[in-house]
Amino acid sequence: MNHIIGYSAVLLGFLSAVLGALTLAVGLVRRQPAALRGGRSYVWLTAAAAVVAVGVMERALLTNDFSLKFVVGNDSLGTPTLFKVTALWSALEGSILLWTLILTGYLVAMAVRFRDRVTDPLVGWATLTAFAVAAFFFGLMLTVANPFSTSSVLASDGSGPNPLLQNHPLVAFHPPMLYLGYVGFTVPFAFAIAALVTGRVGEGWLVETRRWTLFAWGFLTIGIVLGAWWSYEVLGWGGFWAWDPVENASFLPWLTATAYLHSVMVQERRGMLRVWNLSLLVATFSLTILGTFFTRSGVLDSVHSFSTSPLGPVLLGFFGVVVAVGVGLIGWRGDRLRSPGSIDSPISREGAFLANNLLFAAFAFIVLLGTVFPLIAEAVSGNRLSVGRPYFDRMTAPVGFALLFLMAIAPVLPWRKASGELLRSRLQWPAWFAAGVLVAAVAAGVRGPVILGAFGLGAFAAGAAGRQLVLAFRRQGWRGLAGRANGGMIVHLGVVVIAVAFASSHSFGHRAEFRLAPGQSARLAGHRVTYLSSSTVKHSNRTSIEARVRVDGGRVFTPAISQYPNSTEGIGTPSVHPGLREDVYLTLVSAPKSPGDSAVVGVIVQPLVSWLWIGGAIMAVGTTLAAWPGRRRRQPLEPASAPVPGVGLRQPASSVREPVGIAFDGTAFDGTSP
Amino acid sequence: MSLRRWLPWLALAVVLVGVLAVGRSGGHGATSLDGRTRRIAADIRCPTCSGQSAADSDAPTSQEIRALIRERLQQRQSTAQIKAYLVSKYGPRILLRPATHGVSLIVWVLPVVAVAAAAAGLGFTFRRRRSRPSLHASDDDRRLVEQALGR
Amino acid sequence: MSPVFAGAAPPRPRRRHTSLWAAAAVGFVVALLVAVLATSQSASSVEGGSPLIGKPAPAVAGPDTTGRQVSLRDFRGHFVLVNFFATWCVPCQREQPDLVQFSQRHATSGDVALLGVIYQDDPALVAKFFAKQGGSWPVIKADRAKLDFGTTGVPETFLIDPNGIVLKRLTGQVSDAGLEQLVRAAESLRA
Repeated sequence: MNHIIGYSAVLLGFLSAVLGALTLAVGLVRRQPAALRGGRSYVWLTAAAAVVAVGVMERALLTNDFSLKFVVGNDSLGTPTLFKVTALWSALEGSILLWTLILTGYLVAMAVRFRDRVTDPLVGWATLTAFAVAAFFFGLMLTVANPFSTSSVLASDGSGPNPLLQNHPLVAFHPPMLYLGYVGFTVPFAFAIAALVTGRVGEGWLVETRRWTLFAWGFLTIGIVLGAWWSYEVLGWGGFWAWDPVENASFLPWLTATAYLHSVMVQERRGMLRVWNLSLLVATFSLTILGTFFTRSGVLDSVHSFSTSPLGPVLLGFFGVVVAVGVGLIGWRGDRLRSPGSIDSPISREGAFLANNLLFAAFAFIVLLGTVFPLIAEAVSGNRLSVGRPYFDRMTAPVGFALLFLMAIAPVLPWRKASGELLRSRLQWPAWFAAGVLVAAVAAGVRGPVILGAFGLGAFAAGAAGRQLVLAFRRQGWRGLAGRANGGMIVHLGVVVIAVAFASSHSFGHRAEFRLAPGQSARLAGHRVTYLSSSTVKHSNRTSIEARVRVDGGRVFTPAISQYPNSTEGIGTPSVHPGLREDVYLTLVSAPKSPGDSAVVGVIVQPLVSWLWIGGAIMAVGTTLAAWPGRRRRQPLEPASAPVPGVGLRQPASSVREPVGIAFDGTAFDGTSP
Repeated sequence: MSLRRWLPWLALAVVLVGVLAVGRSGGHGATSLDGRTRRIAADIRCPTCSGQSAADSDAPTSQEIRALIRERLQQRQSTAQIKAYLVSKYGPRILLRPATHGVSLIVWVLPVVAVAAAAAGLGFTFRRRRSRPSLHASDDDRRLVEQALGR
Repeated sequence: MSPVFAGAAPPRPRRRHTSLWAAAAVGFVVALLVAVLATSQSASSVEGGSPLIGKPAPAVAGPDTTGRQVSLRDFRGHFVLVNFFATWCVPCQREQPDLVQFSQRHATSGDVALLGVIYQDDPALVAKFFAKQGGSWPVIKADRAKLDFGTTGVPETFLIDPNGIVLKRLTGQVSDAGLEQLVRAAESLRA
């Protein structure tokens, strides 16, 4: 029964999205406002379809409906309720279902937000694009990734979710947050396509979509940080970021979206960098599709991959289509839409943002190249290579340092042109702050050029951000901390904290393994670790051997090895003693054979790891503040470039409303030559 | 007079140089046998895991790799020799840090070339725009305007 | 945009087509990328080859479950199947009956010998397993061997020819029929 309702809901969603897109297309090409209104109403139907489909799947998971293959593969009688719910996104087909739900959610938000401008072609094209993307994902579920497929034999129990996805509550937060970010970029992308098609690259649509992009970016940031935290708490190798292809897949759109969030300020202020911004939005969305391809196609080896499936070629095809459309539109329109203004001096806020774009593009290029290079090498030479952490760390470090430097000087740079005098006076305090931090770090025993560079440049950037915040506070009190500029400074502080913590994770950490009898202790890097005892604990979904280990004579931690019913090897679960200076990370390397025997306990002491999560929280706070309406509330009810009657596909030339830069060199304004 | 303006920055530079000179070396565990073993193992992929390095993984094969590296370091073999041995057993896939010869040289060089080219392009564009004022309409623009005005 | 007044008509530059060229370049690169991605095989299927094939097999020696020292060299002149094994490995348990059958068939002719290598396991447990499931070939403890043979997991089986050259690497569970086919093909090539 479930599978019929579910599949029907997916089919309904697909048809609704397709019809919506077609109706809008008719309305846009023929300029019929009624059709535009009608097309928009399909949004509610599509969203309802997605909600029903997800509801049916969750019900099937919670009631152990083993007639569905998905439930058999990802749920079991013994799975705890939380992991039954999260099983929806713990495997391929369900994750597409979640994607579609969030996408239709954004569609609804779009429809509500722009309900006063239904007949505006810009909104029409944007909704059409969003419908097209939704239709694709519904179509995936109808064909290659059907979550509601049934098996002919009714199983009595399922195999439960992947063991790594059912031993930590973070599984309930990381994927939804990540998807809220990932999928959220569809909206700015849709508006970018709409702007290119209608030729209206005026400032109106930018202001509309800025908050959407910030919202999506914020969730993507939180999603990535939570993913790193989850990796740290669950995987047992003591690290949190391995430049794994799937991690890179989520990081790539983050990079281009960050570049966009900065570069768009230049467009708002001075109307420049339009083509850059459009390209960045197209790139961000394309990279989300490419990332989805990496995660689900199995061409790259990753600890995060879903099982391989015929989904790969379809996603790759969609990626190709998206890039072709985006690049094609930019190539066709870009030169005509470029603003005539130019950057007066490279030492200016505009220059800094342009350099920022270049650096983020370089960063993204390095990450993308490193991720796909094994495949390129295989195509060229027949031998598959590996490109791992050492490459990424080595190549992205200089870019990271350059970005930290920019973070320091850009907030103090004025628009248009800066003088050396101005820079010198504004950067005094941040520079001395950096020197002070460096001296303190070296005095505390920090060594090594990379980590010291991170401390120094990070402190420089933090000093500049702090200076801005202090000035804003002096001017407007607490209210001054809200708004884009100062929220952004707080986000910068979060980034600095993460950068320093990241750099230090490479520099100094201690790891060792100790075979300890019950009651025996070992010392590592100033911490004392005492193995107390082990016990076997039966949970509903696994059997664990838990070791009790006391750290520094205080709390007791329980690293464990768990045996899940359907996997051959035990899954280790680490236990972490967090601290502001360093974390003590415990793993049970090998369990005692009998209760009184010795166990091998792994200990890793890593500095500053907790600051990664603290930095993430700071970034989240800053993003919320940045989204807050600033002091100057602009209500952009009318776009800067109002719709021109008679504008549509058939007359591309006349749709360019903004002055392109007319030279009054003797010709009359009506275009006649002297 | 101008010296007074630059004085604080000079002082700052002196402090920075001093700090970096003190803090440059002595990085944690750089020259001990353990440190060198870990550094080489960090460049080797764990063959039985998904992407972890032999330094981070506790899998049996990784432990064996670390033991092998340690032995050969004690026999005074060089990093290149040790890596070459592992490549002869597992193929070039075993290296997490791509080699700097052959096809994998591309992955090291290409980003540098691309960034240099992009920066040069930007600089060139900027210079060209400076020398020529940009507020002129091109023929294409004039055609657009004429079309818009309905001619 | 402030108008520029000039007496004579200045030269009218053609509009720069930077976006067009940049878009074309990006489009070309992405097309190449898609081509590479479309023709790549999945990561898991990349296993199976080995740089050792065609080269002399690494030396492997160690004590078997009775304590006797056994080495690969002892089997020169015969084909050898070197089988990496562990009792905690489910496919290894499943392939044991096939291996037993295969070894019994070749026991009399003696053309193919089996040599088991323990992969991170307790020799006592292995001895118990063999006693229960059968299998009379020597199983030795040689921890470095899994590295010397470039194994990426267990079970793995290597076919060595009578001159000590590695002919084939099989990853995963093997079957009696599959082994038989492999050995027959190898023997006929030598004949």
